[in-house]
Amino acid sequence: MSQNETRGRQRNSALTWRLWRGPGLTWLALLALFAVSLGSAYAPLGVGNLEINLFIAAIMIALLVTFLMDLKNARTIVRVVAAAGLFWTILMFALVFNDYLSRTY
Amino acid sequence: MSDAAGALREPWPNLQLQRQGVGLGMWMFLASEVLFFAALFCGYAVYRSFNAEAFRIASAHTEIVYGSINTVLLLTSSLTMTVALRAATVQLRGLTLFCLAATAALGAAFLVCKGLEYHEDLKQHLFPGPHFPLSPPATQMFWGFYWIMTGIHAVHLTGGILVVLLVFTLFKRRTVPVQGSTMEGVAIYWHFVDSVWLVLYPLLYLAGRP
Repeated sequence: MSQNETRGRQRNSALTWRLWRGPGLTWLALLALFAVSLGSAYAPLGVGNLEINLFIAAIMIALLVTFLMDLKNARTIVRVVAAAGLFWTILMFALVFNDYLSRTY
Repeated sequence: MSDAAGALREPWPNLQLQRQGVGLGMWMFLASEVLFFAALFCGYAVYRSFNAEAFRIASAHTEIVYGSINTVLLLTSSLTMTVALRAATVQLRGLTLFCLAATAALGAAFLVCKGLEYHEDLKQHLFPGPHFPLSPPATQMFWGFYWIMTGIHAVHLTGGILVVLLVFTLFKRRTVPVQGSTMEGVAIYWHFVDSVWLVLYPLLYLAGRP
């Protein structure tokens, strides 16, 4: 095997390691949060259980969107479009619950 | 013609801008998808706010083992999809193909688990209708949401798997060069399907555990 081939392989394996490292760390964080979420579901916290689980889910989605969907390196226009979905969702929940929670029957 | 030149399409001056264009288009599509699923989540939230105890009783009957295995499978598939995208960008063709195959396999494993879970659910007649075993009646509403939400999610995932397999074939036959913008849209869509599951998991599986 020539020296150039050896160098090429070493470069590729170093690159492969770098490609796995960042997403791998995010994946480990997501698995840890999943374990916390599953564990906390069995703790007797009453109405707090679902709230905690949804809060953990929100953190997991934030991690996924930021690091795996790479929104942290995206252009502003892409972030605005991504935020639009969230904005209209909040508006929908606000208007729907404004109606249902203010009904007297 | 080099691979890079073959990957570039009109009207883009370079591959980086082309990838950003595909990403923006996919995010626009996903913004509408977010609202589609948000309407279901909103419906769930309204009915749960009026039938909290019924929803708690009903969700205690979902198969948490299958749900948890599926969560790990999807999270892992997001890892392999991210590596596939990054490997494609730096033209590591072998790694891209391996990660795409792994992603499709993990997605397929999710569907197999889901099928087994559906089989268990149906054995217990947990489908809204005349022989529904739980009470009060509002428990049927929870199971209505369960079937609709998981069913629509499974349809999205099936679409994702088919697209991943198509892209894999195109890359394998060298019809499309790996470093083009194809992977950008596929990866963002796949992560979206994963993130929808991250909301479904607490709503359907964890809500009634304590």
